[in-house]
Amino acid sequence: MPNGLSLICMLLLSLPASAENWPAEQWPTGPTITGPALQALETYAFPPRSEATREGIRTDALLVVRDGQLIYERYAGPTNADTPHLTWSISKSLMATLLGVAYGEGLFKLQDPAARFYPPLKKHPDMSIADLLHWASGLDWQEDYEYAPLKSSVVAMLYTRGRGDMAAFTADHGQYSAPGHAFRYSSGDSNLLAAALKNMVGPSRYADYPWTALFEPLGIRHAVWETDATGTFVASSYAYLTARDLARIGLLMARDGRWGDRQLLPRDWVAFNREPFARFQPGQDEAVPGGHWWLNRAVGGASQPWPDAPADTFAALGHWGQAMYVIPGEKLVIVRYGDDRDGSYRHNELLKLALKAFAGKVQP
Amino acid sequence: MSRQVFVRRHPFSTFLLILLIALLGWIWHERVALWAFPDIISAYTAKEYCSCRYVMGNDAGYCHSYVKQWLPTSGFIDDPAGKRITVSGMGRSNSAQWMGERQGCRLLP
Repeated sequence: MPNGLSLICMLLLSLPASAENWPAEQWPTGPTITGPALQALETYAFPPRSEATREGIRTDALLVVRDGQLIYERYAGPTNADTPHLTWSISKSLMATLLGVAYGEGLFKLQDPAARFYPPLKKHPDMSIADLLHWASGLDWQEDYEYAPLKSSVVAMLYTRGRGDMAAFTADHGQYSAPGHAFRYSSGDSNLLAAALKNMVGPSRYADYPWTALFEPLGIRHAVWETDATGTFVASSYAYLTARDLARIGLLMARDGRWGDRQLLPRDWVAFNREPFARFQPGQDEAVPGGHWWLNRAVGGASQPWPDAPADTFAALGHWGQAMYVIPGEKLVIVRYGDDRDGSYRHNELLKLALKAFAGKVQP
Repeated sequence: MSRQVFVRRHPFSTFLLILLIALLGWIWHERVALWAFPDIISAYTAKEYCSCRYVMGNDAGYCHSYVKQWLPTSGFIDDPAGKRITVSGMGRSNSAQWMGERQGCRLLP
């Protein structure tokens, strides 16, 4: 019959097996993966790279977290583990996550009119925070980056007419549809959310809010988030994180907004992020929009956007091949930074190869 | 000479006239976007170079190739002490400056 001391010892020994892995200052590492499946993934993601032609798949970073442990990372080009890499439109999903903390503080509700927090929108009284999160403001926005520079709202916003005050520039656009009725991907909608957040949390907290509310609780030490001249975060485009730090956001999302024993994002907030926007029509974009995240869901009779990945896969995606994929059922978070200047990179291909290399090996 | 007669006698001139009027109408309609257009290349280059160099910490040679576009730029100035980039192109000049550890770079007004 075991005595008290040996019982305690047995309890202590059994703890690590059942405890969850969480990153502290550094990620805990898991078993090293090798083999032909990993080789196939690396052959796809890291082909020989030319800075002169800039053609083909140009992965800057590929990092995989499984069950809270770092099991793979590789860097190329000038990027390394310490590089705060430009995330482009991944920033939009980061803004959604930051808003989730404010939502948890009870500072707003999804159906609140956006004009309550950003008065220049008062000519659009029916536009809600949820509409902006669905990219369904109804504003007549043109998102083309490189192919229609004259008509591009996003180029004008970032570099010319809108750069001083991006939210005001967006709010000045006309309306093409009633708010909430149609999906049209818009960087302007994301920056309206960034401007609304300023009044939700108050101007005195706003400048530090991404760090105090989100980055510091997750142990993210090297995030940069650029602003326009009015101090509003460029939520559409300009957050910079190391691949290791971005994966912390992924783990937070994979675990339904919980970080350790703290529910940082309300569970219903993450559920909203992962719920397809009901008015989205297949073919309108490369993946299905949820609440400022992208979903691998079959909607409207169409197949899943990434057929080789599970249906619970969701992602934050950005220009030039930036991506973070979260696959809760496989306990996987995959960060992929790139500098793809042509359209040859395929999310589905990367996911297929990564799943072959890393999925289904979680110890019970 | 009536309008019909002018059109019959000068079909080519009439066509050019209509084209010219359409072009002027388009220029008027797009005047705001057209006026801003030449700023894009220098503003883009200054801003993204600044962030490449001083936010992401990449070296100067890489950042030059990173921001290269099909439109030419001229008069590139990187002031490393002030972390300030000034670029000219299409007759316009724009500057971006590194503002701090968290704020990164921003285009100057």
